Amino acid sequence: MTSTTAAPAVTTTRNRVGRALETAARGHRSIPVLVVLAIIWAVFYSQSAAYLSFQNITNLTLQIVTTAILALGVVFVLLVGEIDLSAAVLSGVCAAVAAGLVVNSGLPLAVGIAAALVTGMVVTFVEAQLIMFGVPSLIVTLGGMVILQGLILVVLPPEFTVSVAGTSFAKIASTAVPAGTSYALAAAGTIAYAAYRLFQHRERVSTGSLTSLAAVVVPSAIVAAVLFGGVFTLTRQRGFPMPLLILAAMLLVAWYATTQTRYGIHLYAVGGDREAAQRAGIPVRRMVLYSFLILGACAAVAGMVDASRQLGVSVTSGGGPLMLNAIAAAVVGGTSLFGGRGSIWSAILGALVIGSISNGVQLLGLSTEVQYFATGSVLIVAVAVDVVLTRGSLLPGRR
Amino acid sequence: MTPLLQLTKVSKHFGGVRALHEVDLSVDAGEVVALVGDNGAGKSTLVKIVSGVESPDTGEIRVRGEAARLESPRAAAEAGIRTVFQDLSLCDNLDAVQNLFLGQERYGPVWSGRRVRRHVMEEQAQRVLESLSVKLRALNTPVVALSGGQRQGIAIGRALISDPAVVLLDEPTAALGVSQRGEVLDLIQRLREQGRGVLVISHDMKDVRQVADRVVVLRLGAKVAEFRRGGYTPADLVSAMTGAHEPTDGEGGDL
Ligand SMILES: Nc1ncnc2c1ncn2[C@@H]1O[C@H](COP(=O)(O)OP(=O)(O)OP(=O)(O)O)[C@@H](O)[C@H]1O
Ligand SMILES: [Mg+2]
Repeated sequence: MTSTTAAPAVTTTRNRVGRALETAARGHRSIPVLVVLAIIWAVFYSQSAAYLSFQNITNLTLQIVTTAILALGVVFVLLVGEIDLSAAVLSGVCAAVAAGLVVNSGLPLAVGIAAALVTGMVVTFVEAQLIMFGVPSLIVTLGGMVILQGLILVVLPPEFTVSVAGTSFAKIASTAVPAGTSYALAAAGTIAYAAYRLFQHRERVSTGSLTSLAAVVVPSAIVAAVLFGGVFTLTRQRGFPMPLLILAAMLLVAWYATTQTRYGIHLYAVGGDREAAQRAGIPVRRMVLYSFLILGACAAVAGMVDASRQLGVSVTSGGGPLMLNAIAAAVVGGTSLFGGRGSIWSAILGALVIGSISNGVQLLGLSTEVQYFATGSVLIVAVAVDVVLTRGSLLPGRR
Repeated sequence: MTPLLQLTKVSKHFGGVRALHEVDLSVDAGEVVALVGDNGAGKSTLVKIVSGVESPDTGEIRVRGEAARLESPRAAAEAGIRTVFQDLSLCDNLDAVQNLFLGQERYGPVWSGRRVRRHVMEEQAQRVLESLSVKLRALNTPVVALSGGQRQGIAIGRALISDPAVVLLDEPTAALGVSQRGEVLDLIQRLREQGRGVLVISHDMKDVRQVADRVVVLRLGAKVAEFRRGGYTPADLVSAMTGAHEPTDGEGGDL
């Protein structure tokens, strides 16, 4: 890294409090979701202590992993002000391609994974072209969803199902990282994050920008708590589940790309005001295309992880409530349907909210309609909040 | 001396609407040219053409004497032309620093994923905003929460951050109070002293008289008059703009 050798000579104390407040305010967009999550957990926990047992928390996180990965891709598309309804079925198609190559044709797992990723990205590439041609994304991906439902029948063998039990494909989900290694990873992650924050702190000191050590310590402590808490909780059973490690790695990359890079600024600019972004010289069409390609890749990963967990691919893969859950997760987590607002954390937080409801309902043996009522209500409330926030931010005479 | 920016017979139609008709215009280095005209006269259209947002139907644009194809905002920026649009073109969801540097971020090497050098941008942002007397409480709140004057300041700062040769300002004082209006007019003078070419659109005849070396009058998309500093009265401008009667001391008073 281009290191700034200038040591922090004097840390101005007058800015310390301000910076600490600012840091707190940054995370503040996630606070409503966290409150909702806490309420849901408290309610179910009061009904059954088993709800917050290590075992159930592990189950819960594994139940939401497919939704969260897909929601992550959906967030990228929502951020540029588009939508995608076909990603869930696409995940099924990708899984069918991968499983077909690995299980039926006996090719190496890596080939299957690569083929799934290519399939996902080719499909979203075509969708993005149509959208840029001027067809609304809602229609393109609605049509795409139906077409892909046909395509999965073509890709699957005549019996319409591929079992992956006992193959290398099943190992994606069944692999568990030993507790020792997991703690080492958590420690490495914490140290790397703290070092990055410290590096940024020294950069800022070198140019005399506002900064304080609180901007290093507070976020690092939060990251440490989440990582070690997560590893502690999720390794109670047999080690850290591989699907969660995949999700964590994807979130890490997505966090860096969206918050630390030029790409991230352009992504939000395109979602915030396309015309303004265009006039600032940002390649708007390319940014929209990137978002769809990312969604394609996420769909492929989600599909493979899901197939590996379910030990097979069938015509119903990627069907059911997966698509709506993924979109709902992104929105409940705080990503705006109108583009430009939200963060990648909304994927995991929203998926946790939705997953926590259905897990609790199942655990308590409540009837399914309770789950539908609760999930639907949370979604509507979340979008209502989003509408209020968005309208409050619209200036007169614009758009 | 070859003009910094020269437009020859530029025309633009929107469907049946004639927005610009064979407009000639030039801006020299160290010169402030004011573009005036009634609502819908085509001023913003001309700005959009020069800034690469719209492309002309016919006509030629030369930058420093060389024919230029300003096909995109990026191409115009690369030719050294920067614009403050009438609607400011800020991204409401981004903060002041991100808006100031939008499309011209300072970033690290490719291996770092073009990591944004936020500290460098913040420092420079602070200096630019200070030079424009724009006071912000925090650089990292979305600009949607800012006042009209602060937003205007950010939009102007964005145009200046890349050290452009030609600056286009579409109604730069429209949203400003008295003191900030003075700041912007001072700024325009400073841009002239720095040897830049400035094209400014304004409805305020007082501002125009104060800063403009030359005034170009558009009416219904056509250039109807051109005046030099001191060679006109406010009444001349108004009559040229409204077509009330033929301008007497204009240079290009053909209708
Ligand atoms: N994108 C567009 N599509 C159709 N017509 C347009 C478009 N842009 C401008 N026009 C028309 O071109 C003409 C000139 O518009 P322009 O915005 O350039 O005027 P202006 O001189 O900037 O006016 P104002 O003082 O109100 O800003 C108007 O008749 C307008 O309706
Ligand atoms: Mg205008």
